[in-house]
Amino acid sequence: MGARRAAWAALGAAGVLLLAPGPAGAQRGDPAAGKAVYELRCAGCHGIKGDGKGPAAELLDPRPRDFTTGVYKIRTTAAKIPSDEDLFRVITEGMPGTSMPGWKMLPERDRWNLVAYIKTFAPDKFREPPPRQALPPEVAPSPESIKRGREMFEAIECNKCHGNQGRGDGPSRPELKDDWGHPIRPANLTKRWTFRGGARREDVAMRIAVGVLGTPMPAFLEAVEKPEDIWHLTNYVLSLGPESPRFVTLLTAAAVTEPIPDDPAAPFWAKLPPQNVPLVGQVIVEPRNFNPAIDMVTVRAAWNEREVAFHLTWDDPTESRGGDGTHPDAIALQFPPRVDPSGERPYFLMGLGSEPVYLLRWEQGRGVVEATATGPTQVTVLAGSEAAGRAVWADGQYRLVVKRARVAREAGRTPFEPGLFLPVALQAWDGGAGETGAKMSLTSWYYLRLGEPQSNRRLVIPPVVALLTLAAMLLIVRAANRRG
Amino acid sequence: MRKAVIAFAALALGAGAAGWLGHPAPATAQGGGTLEVEVKYNGAPVIEKLKVNKDTQKCGTEAVVEKVAVGPTKGLKNAVVSVPTAKGPARAAKAVLDQQGCKFVPHVVAMMPGEIDIKNSDDILHNIHTYSTANPPINKAQPKFKKVMTEKFEKPEVIKVTCDVHSWMLGWIVVVPTPFFGVTGDEGVVKLDNVPAGKHTVEVWHEVLGKQTREVEVKPGQVTRVSLELKK
Repeated sequence: MGARRAAWAALGAAGVLLLAPGPAGAQRGDPAAGKAVYELRCAGCHGIKGDGKGPAAELLDPRPRDFTTGVYKIRTTAAKIPSDEDLFRVITEGMPGTSMPGWKMLPERDRWNLVAYIKTFAPDKFREPPPRQALPPEVAPSPESIKRGREMFEAIECNKCHGNQGRGDGPSRPELKDDWGHPIRPANLTKRWTFRGGARREDVAMRIAVGVLGTPMPAFLEAVEKPEDIWHLTNYVLSLGPESPRFVTLLTAAAVTEPIPDDPAAPFWAKLPPQNVPLVGQVIVEPRNFNPAIDMVTVRAAWNEREVAFHLTWDDPTESRGGDGTHPDAIALQFPPRVDPSGERPYFLMGLGSEPVYLLRWEQGRGVVEATATGPTQVTVLAGSEAAGRAVWADGQYRLVVKRARVAREAGRTPFEPGLFLPVALQAWDGGAGETGAKMSLTSWYYLRLGEPQSNRRLVIPPVVALLTLAAMLLIVRAANRRG
Repeated sequence: MRKAVIAFAALALGAGAAGWLGHPAPATAQGGGTLEVEVKYNGAPVIEKLKVNKDTQKCGTEAVVEKVAVGPTKGLKNAVVSVPTAKGPARAAKAVLDQQGCKFVPHVVAMMPGEIDIKNSDDILHNIHTYSTANPPINKAQPKFKKVMTEKFEKPEVIKVTCDVHSWMLGWIVVVPTPFFGVTGDEGVVKLDNVPAGKHTVEVWHEVLGKQTREVEVKPGQVTRVSLELKK
């Protein structure tokens, strides 16, 4: 009795709740069977010896896990090793934002066998099943909780790495390295779909509590003022961005009658719907960009009789003007120079040979130009550019307005006609990450549609037609009655 | 009833421990000698200076990292001298590692297996990130209001300590299996009293210059002087 009480007291002091390993304990998988699956599915990245040095490792960022150290990023335990369930979950669901895919397609038994096998790479670390880390009682999200979370965010200086708005642009960012000495980036807290250990509330709270081992992210469970601050921080982090990017497949420019503002911060833009487009690394021509820095651009667009305007928002941790091994940040909107009624489009990767593309291109320090291109490095700026734009960079994010006269002043500059599906593509360069020329992130062709102006006719005509129909019916009924 | 038994056991244990601490081990009391170890280095010091771009009000604008610090008499600073073969009771004082001006103070701290107090005197966020293999690695945040935290290192090991917030911060916790240890200062000398008489191995470790050992014989009531030179 007393001994048990003493044990509880000791555990309570450590803030740890020991749970006996559940049925999903250490003996569930068969390491020998796991070895065969591992060598077929995992060794390409993680290496036959489990040291994270498979043939593909060089190209990956973040690098594949080195299993021989027993150090794992994602754990829900009060120990330095993950539980079998933690390993099983990462194998099953993968690690968002990395090259680690989910392996749901493998039978469950294979995945448990893999868990058993990868533990054999660090046998002395996995002697005993680790105790589960208990979290403080959950606090539901509320404006007060989010406010307290922000206070804690500032007090414990999350911004040092994650930045003031959580976009992963803090002052310590350039120096961060993992335990193997590879550069590592802090999470962009506004993009929870890239959180390595999942984006559920308990995932986020657990990461804050126990940290991400082998990376600069420390454990905060004992470093907050009150235990429940872990949940206030979680609620704040989850308030920083949407649950999902809800990528669009069609871009729409809203028809407006008022003048379109140049200022990217003007309230006008906030009223337009954000349209998120995913970008991927250019891996077709050298130099290939296997680990692109910019993974998403938010497009807002509007047009009036005189001009068409695009408002682009994207995260970039540094405002880079070039020099010192870096290049100026840049972004481009790409269109076919003329609209082909047959639907033919130039080659999406900035055109080819006799089929150029038309670009509205912004570059830090140079502003917006009109250009044509016949390849990633074959860009010709057009003389007498009518395009204009303004960019602001703050807290790890660019906002840019690009404008051009709606009607093209000569052939070769794309005309913007309402009601048509106009092909459009995006390219972006994070110069601070060394991106320039063919080393970029990009999209394939999308379509842009200039929406029809919305008049009041749609509100007036249907009721008028309905009334007229009713009147006609009444007349017919009356005529029929008279005859009768 | 059980409670009473436990209380009694605790009392007995406490008394035992107090007795243990109060009276040095017999070997030490009887025939101990003094061991004076001098560590020399004839090469040039290696001092790295880095520009600091954040928290400058606490960290200053320049970080000075003493990789190899040499005193005026060619004494090597920050070397750990220990006598792993000499056993004795644990030291009473707990080891302390402070973070002051965005530096680990001292740069090298030696300790016996057990607890260490890690302080944050800077009023800004630091994180204690250890690179250890025998002991579980830790990476714990230490925000400004967390003035002290106590950590345990139970196995002898040389542990690198960094702070990811301030990448230039580098410190070492050296866990040695003996109470007979010290860290050299500007003169490069460590003096150890009451070392049990007999043949011992002296071990010297430095973060850049590595390890060296030397066999010595400690005679009761005498001072034994040893001089070692570390080379690149």
